[in-house]
Amino acid sequence: MGRYVARRVLQGVVTLYLISLAVFVMLRVGGGNPIAHMLPPDATALEMELMTKAYGFDKPLHHQYWIYNKKLLRGDLGDALSWDKRPAADVVFDRLPATLQLSGSALLWAVVVGVALGAISAAKPDTIFDRIGKLVAIIAQSMPVFWVGLLMILGFSVYLGWLPSAGGIDRLGPKGIILPAVTLGFFLIASHMRIVRSTMLEVLESDYIKMVRAKGLPTRMVLWKHAFKNASIPVFTLFFVNFAGLISGAVITETIFAWPGVGRLLVESLLVRDYPTTQAVIFFVAAFILFINIFVDIMYAWLDPRIRIAQ
Amino acid sequence: MASEGGDGAGLLAPQPAGVAAGIPRLARRGLGSIRGAPKLSLLFLLIALICAIFAESISPHNPIEVTTDILEAPSSSHWLGTDMQGRDALTRVIYGAQISVMVALSAVALAAAVGTTVALLSGVLRGWVDTVLMRLTDGFLALPSLMVALVVISILGPSIPNVILVIGLTRWMAYARVIRGEVLKLMEMDFVRLAHVAGASRPRIMIRHVFPNVANTLLVLVTLEVGLAVIAESSLSFLGFGVPRPLPSWGSMLRDAQEFIYITWWLPVFPGLAITFLVMSCNLTGDWLRDRLDPTRRQL
Repeated sequence: MGRYVARRVLQGVVTLYLISLAVFVMLRVGGGNPIAHMLPPDATALEMELMTKAYGFDKPLHHQYWIYNKKLLRGDLGDALSWDKRPAADVVFDRLPATLQLSGSALLWAVVVGVALGAISAAKPDTIFDRIGKLVAIIAQSMPVFWVGLLMILGFSVYLGWLPSAGGIDRLGPKGIILPAVTLGFFLIASHMRIVRSTMLEVLESDYIKMVRAKGLPTRMVLWKHAFKNASIPVFTLFFVNFAGLISGAVITETIFAWPGVGRLLVESLLVRDYPTTQAVIFFVAAFILFINIFVDIMYAWLDPRIRIAQ
Repeated sequence: MASEGGDGAGLLAPQPAGVAAGIPRLARRGLGSIRGAPKLSLLFLLIALICAIFAESISPHNPIEVTTDILEAPSSSHWLGTDMQGRDALTRVIYGAQISVMVALSAVALAAAVGTTVALLSGVLRGWVDTVLMRLTDGFLALPSLMVALVVISILGPSIPNVILVIGLTRWMAYARVIRGEVLKLMEMDFVRLAHVAGASRPRIMIRHVFPNVANTLLVLVTLEVGLAVIAESSLSFLGFGVPRPLPSWGSMLRDAQEFIYITWWLPVFPGLAITFLVMSCNLTGDWLRDRLDPTRRQL
């Protein structure tokens, strides 16, 4: 087990380093000069040159990369070109709580609603409830997250006027998070519902469920105490697998609702060619996804003895 | 289409790329099928294709020409209303089908070609080739694909070929993973071993014996991925990193619609409906194809 963990972590570190290398090269080779975005439009050629020198963008690529690596080893991801020239890592960390708040709330409501709907569907298969749920799941999985967001705004902000359509939680209080979180969690409901329903149905067919039923246990007990527990393992996988998808969704959701998170930070940094901040965002997000992947694999090995023995 | 199918054939949840690999196949068995859904889906796909191919002759107006009839509500002359530049929304939705279908099909073709090549090389050659390619696949799966797409587009500039390239190169991993699995199984089968004994070269085994046997899986994956590619294209366009204006992409139409959402309901509604129907049709068709092509699942 210890060796397995060590190997996975090492692989993760290598992958992360390669990702940062790829982003570094892509931005430098094709990215255009960020200095042009930092100076006023009437800046002279001399001013441009001085700025370029001051930031080291005139040095050969391998030299720039050497400096980048030296800093990286010290945990320094460089200074942002915008955002008051603060360290890029700090800029990302400032935006992190907003994104975590948003994705956490989205995941929470999606899992609760999705699992509940899936379990009820499985308990009463082929009833009207099951059919409606099925239809909703199919439609929900086909709706792009930005359209869900626009419909939410149209319904709850424009027509009903109940909820604000933009801004972070600081300015608006807890009311501000409802629409963004519901939007971001929307597509997850369908996948949770489907997986809970199908695994529940499978579990309900199994011999041990027939056994407890034969023992005379009431249906409610059979469902929640015996079936649901075993059906929750795939939900656990899905919960973590969805994290990567959640990040893509967060970029879009944050843009629609002007939510001050990491996703919007990336879009804003790209528009002004802020290399260090862009690199920092990708670095942290990739690190996060890798961490989740490794964590899930380890949890699996721990939960399921068959996987552990295969290692 | 809400009516219930009695055969109970598995309807597989369209999973985001990479998800399918982590969950056992049986566990992904879906919600049962809906009678008539495949026919309706195929009908809608046909309509989308007709819109895409004959956009010029069936649209009532010009999709790009600016007029003075701005922000008009739906009426008999403009069925879906007009936008802030006086362009007919119905015309733009029809032309949007052209862009969505073309970008999605090209991107999926690229992704399928890359993914299948990786899978065949990996599964047939094994050894260090397999190790390197699978680590590469894992690396790509760890990337936040939308974020990478945004970075690459901001470097290359927003244009249709760049959008195709970016979507194609960030969505090939599902093919590589799933088809490699099939290839590994096939390589153990007698007919492949016999071909090997008979002196067939590895490229020949790859192309003549293995590839035809993964074609069904490939077809199902492609159908399911087209829907995801449509969403990817419209998401990039919505963020302003996709199909450049004034070309009528459903994503960029919705981006423009957000500005006027307090005064017009029709602008944010119709392009989104078009995306949803197209994606849903691709998903349902893919599910149906999977059930048809995999006889072991037909009785489930």
